[in-house]
Amino acid sequence: MATPLDSLRERLLRAGVAPRHVRRYLTELADHLSDLRAEEEHAGRSKADAESAALVRLGRIDDLSRAMICQRQFQSWCARAPWAMFTVAPLLALAAAYFVACLILWSGWRILLPGSDTPFVPVDGLAVYYFGLGRMIYYVTPVAIGWGICLLAARQRSKAAWPACGLILTALVAGTARVHAGRPAGFGGIGRVGMSFELGPSLPAVAGSLSHVAAVLLLIGLPWLAWRIQRAGSLSA
Amino acid sequence: MIYLESLGIKFAVATRETNPNFMNGVPELLILRLLQQGEMYGYEIVQEIRSRTGSVVAVGEGVVYPVLHVLEREGALASKRRTVGGRSRIYYVVTPLGTRRLTVLSETWNQLAAAIQRLLKGGNLGDATRFSS
Repeated sequence: MATPLDSLRERLLRAGVAPRHVRRYLTELADHLSDLRAEEEHAGRSKADAESAALVRLGRIDDLSRAMICQRQFQSWCARAPWAMFTVAPLLALAAAYFVACLILWSGWRILLPGSDTPFVPVDGLAVYYFGLGRMIYYVTPVAIGWGICLLAARQRSKAAWPACGLILTALVAGTARVHAGRPAGFGGIGRVGMSFELGPSLPAVAGSLSHVAAVLLLIGLPWLAWRIQRAGSLSA
Repeated sequence: MIYLESLGIKFAVATRETNPNFMNGVPELLILRLLQQGEMYGYEIVQEIRSRTGSVVAVGEGVVYPVLHVLEREGALASKRRTVGGRSRIYYVVTPLGTRRLTVLSETWNQLAAAIQRLLKGGNLGDATRFSS
């Protein structure tokens, strides 16, 4: 059964109060309630009477929530600027991860495969781990970022629109990203690594890219979808 | 009054209508004054306010925490977690900035209270007449 403090937590999170402020407020309220309960019991009330008297003295949920919500400085960034937290920040993080992955590919190519025209060749020894690290960053980061969006949205009880935008953008970028590497003539023999974001030159390629986008979206959005369904079920119950 | 009630602070005296800015800073003033005498945790603060004001200022007990958190965030208070009697509590203490703020708030409040007292006792009525004529 939900306690009054549970419903206060939900109300504060939905109003955009940052989870760490909610956690601290509720911890102090729980301690305070416990002191009030002890005081009322000491005054001779029964356990049940002491509990209800303590709750009355603590304050109505409306008052307790309003006192916190009216302090704008306790609002989370997800509430203040959801567009930045759910779309811009994930895309910047993804760009940074892709940059690191490309840097690993380029440096590994120069150091470990100096004579090769492309870094996309079978490798062995240390090169397996080095290129493997870059590949892991390239493939795992979009999923980690997507799950980060889900976690943030769930923790902050965010409305669906901005997290959904963030997930779709992340899936689009991850699903259409292509890494190119080549050693152009007249460039001093130094290989170049670059990235492009495209659906593809032909219809089958476009279909392949779109199915890749859909697969990434499903993978990163599924936890949040499951959480929302489970939450809707528990609220309606 | 809206401001104070948003902080859960109610006055036992009957008030029909009040300028919200009129009593701004009262919760901060009371809390800073109490904590200047020593560190306390939320429950202690509320009980002290109640006992020292003869229950005239009755704080909706839980709403003292947002005020404490704001003061801490603004640097007027510092907090530390301590375990006393097997229970972990967050104790608050006034910082030098809080002491300066208390001085300012006290002066403002004293001026306000003195002005109201003068008015209630009928002083400076000549001035009031001059203003209205």
